[in-house]
Amino acid sequence: MSMQGKYIQRFSEEYEDYLKDESRMIGEADSISFPKTEESLRAILFELKNHQSKITVQGARTGITGGAIPKGGHVLNLSRMNKVKGFRYDPKSKNYFLTVQPGVLLSELRQMISDKDFDTEDWSKESLATLKRFRKDQEYFFPPDPTEASASIGGMVSNNASGARTFRYGPTRNYIEGLRIFLADGDSFLLRRGENKANGRTFVIQTDQGRILSGEIPSYAMPDVKNASGYYAKKNMDLVDLFIGSEGTLGIITEVEIKLIPKPAFFCGMTVFAPNEDIALHFICRIRECAFRPAAIEYFNADALVLLKEQKRKNAAFSTLLEMPFDSREAVYVEYHGEEEEVIQGILQAGEIFVSCGGNEADTWLALNSQGMEQLHFFRHAVPEAVNLTIDERRRKEAGLTKLGTDMAVPDAMLEDVMHLYRTTLRETGVESVIFGHIGNNHVHVNILPRNMEDYIKGKALYGKWAEAVLKMGGTVSAEHGIGKMKISLLKKMIGEKGIEEMKGIKRTFDPEWRLNIGNLFEIE
Amino acid sequence: MDIIVCVKQVPDTQEVKIDPRTNTIVREGVSSVLNPFDAYAVEEALRIRDRFGGKVIAISMGIQKASKMLKEILALGVDDAVLLSDRVFAGADTLATAYTLALGIQKIGKYDLILCGKQAIDGDTAQVGPSLAEKLNIPHITYASKIEKLESRWIRVRRLVDDGYEIVEASLPAVITVEKGLNVPRLPSLKTFKAAQKKGVKIWNHQDILADPSCTGLNGSPTQVIKTFVPQYGKSVEILEGTMTQQVEKLFHKLSEEGFLFE
Ligand SMILES: Cc1cc2nc3c(=O)[nH]c(=O)nc-3n(C[C@H](O)[C@H](O)[C@H](O)COP(=O)(O)OP(=O)(O)OC[C@H]3O[C@@H](n4cnc5c(N)ncnc54)[C@H](O)[C@@H]3O)c2cc1C
Repeated sequence: MSMQGKYIQRFSEEYEDYLKDESRMIGEADSISFPKTEESLRAILFELKNHQSKITVQGARTGITGGAIPKGGHVLNLSRMNKVKGFRYDPKSKNYFLTVQPGVLLSELRQMISDKDFDTEDWSKESLATLKRFRKDQEYFFPPDPTEASASIGGMVSNNASGARTFRYGPTRNYIEGLRIFLADGDSFLLRRGENKANGRTFVIQTDQGRILSGEIPSYAMPDVKNASGYYAKKNMDLVDLFIGSEGTLGIITEVEIKLIPKPAFFCGMTVFAPNEDIALHFICRIRECAFRPAAIEYFNADALVLLKEQKRKNAAFSTLLEMPFDSREAVYVEYHGEEEEVIQGILQAGEIFVSCGGNEADTWLALNSQGMEQLHFFRHAVPEAVNLTIDERRRKEAGLTKLGTDMAVPDAMLEDVMHLYRTTLRETGVESVIFGHIGNNHVHVNILPRNMEDYIKGKALYGKWAEAVLKMGGTVSAEHGIGKMKISLLKKMIGEKGIEEMKGIKRTFDPEWRLNIGNLFEIE
Repeated sequence: MDIIVCVKQVPDTQEVKIDPRTNTIVREGVSSVLNPFDAYAVEEALRIRDRFGGKVIAISMGIQKASKMLKEILALGVDDAVLLSDRVFAGADTLATAYTLALGIQKIGKYDLILCGKQAIDGDTAQVGPSLAEKLNIPHITYASKIEKLESRWIRVRRLVDDGYEIVEASLPAVITVEKGLNVPRLPSLKTFKAAQKKGVKIWNHQDILADPSCTGLNGSPTQVIKTFVPQYGKSVEILEGTMTQQVEKLFHKLSEEGFLFE
């Protein structure tokens, strides 16, 4: 059904881009809106309720599991709700807290925080006073870093995004102090960490409009690894955590209070090039045991490096990638944060460990200033970009192809086993692939690059096999990208029919008409 | 082949702010970095040395703190670093800078090639390289985008000009100033970093290089800045309306009207 009104536009070809995200899926929609305020959002939601329209929420559409892809109905794009609303300081914890709308991009947020410069229109006196204090104070930062800095805060919260630095700082969840939620019917409520908790497994929330909502937290046990699969579920949990990582299926996030922590005085990064996988893995297992913990440990296998070399040669956008040591096979990136002295010591120690594992000191890149760090981050970010370009190229010949990218994590003790599994099964099947990612958290992305439909089918089969093995190892099927529309069957494998039913129970509490982000987490019925 | 690279410490442009009252750069609290153009000169020097052998020496005129930047350059594998630092060098314009650098280079003595960045991003004059060459009485080639050939007695360089490029040859020793994008500057390795920890930066004052203080720093600088201002450009914004296809067509028209499209 098609609507048009003050805020709602009929869907036309002009909005085509809003049918896509970085998953490369293409959706369909009847109408679209870009609210700027909660008032307009509420008006839109009332209108949509009258039409019983389905709603798909969008942030910056950088998600890679199709979470923001509409399956008919309305596209609620929050990119224009992008104001910073307020600022507060907590003298006890010495942290600052910024209240932001969901459409603020991570890149914008970082810039504002480092410049200490915000658009303070409509700020309260307290917020302005906090800003004054902030300007005189040391540097602060917001640690979550999902590689893609054009992600929106709303999207990051909805997926509980994480990234390289999660190794030291944890996922987005750890930096969320409060959320304002709108339900599909326009009711709203505020959740502050510490103020609304489940009692055992039961919870109650009262909306601003006075409605009482109650439900049961699912009984499945979450794996003891970095995880973004299904609703967060723990006895006596904080209800803020229920909405973080719920992929927009329960409510629309309209305001987020984020925590800023003191910025370490010094950052330093090093990429080491190892002659083979054993040396790389051995190095990783040893440095993560060090007392001075790295902030990030990232991995690039030989195929990922070959892909980068190739892209550097033929694609101008990659021409400024650093030139790799000639006979390098695998690479590991480590990053340290802290006081200058301890960081340098940390790097030197990592260097010694690398050499004792069989590496060569000359085959390393050291970044001791911000330009150097940028180079190494660019190198890391270039891998998924290069993968996407390669897939785009192949899709021109074979439209049905997509990237098959895993997002699985396992417990520490299982790292070598899972890497061995990937390596041997990939070799047996003969499909092209690259492996890279957050290996410090035992969380690598295996990206299968199918050349044709036959590869694609083989890849899919492999994918299922790995998921089963990873679950047996006590791991998760999605550690950071979320389930979205692409990993629903894997989620079922992970938490079982019963788990899915329990999740559905929660969904019914908040979205009884089943209109919000349909197709995420649950199959469309 | 012995190469000298001239480098300068400049404010980090990502952090630079202009004081709206005085129109000058606010330097307080802004961290300093190696002039980006100079990074390409250092890299090119290292590549030449790695191929032909010899030594690379970096030289800079600046405040004592610039020795930190020179340490970072040593960590890239540069063999030696010299900092010309003296109160009488302060406030130098391009003439006084070239004079001072030339004396520093003469004290170093032996060199086959001098590489500079095309310009320092804080002053943007692009004069120091050429005037250094004149002081040393050797040829120079500016705006090098590629070193086409290097022999023991001569060099062939591709240099960028407004409407294309030129291929120019010069006998050695010569001063070459380089463009961005000539190469991809490397990062230090642990090996070169550790080796650099054992090296120090040589610091020379005006007596060390036999400089006449009336020719250095503010005293030796005939340049007078009468006024600085931020140029105003006549910018206008036009928003194209319609469906995506209509907008693309309008944009296409606009661009061809303005002469941005060929064919
Ligand atoms: C090159 C590349 C690298 C990446 N690397 C990483 C990585 O290392 N780690 C990582 O975690 N992710 C990574 N991602 C994925 C992506 O950036 C994150 O998942 C990000 O959190 C998505 O944010 P977004 O604003 O683009 O959300 P969108 O894609 O717009 O939406 C994502 C989901 O959140 C929901 N949503 C968005 N806003 C709201 C809201 N306000 N209220 C309710 N629901 C909402 C959407 O409905 C959807 O389900 C990468 C992506 C790319 C392209």
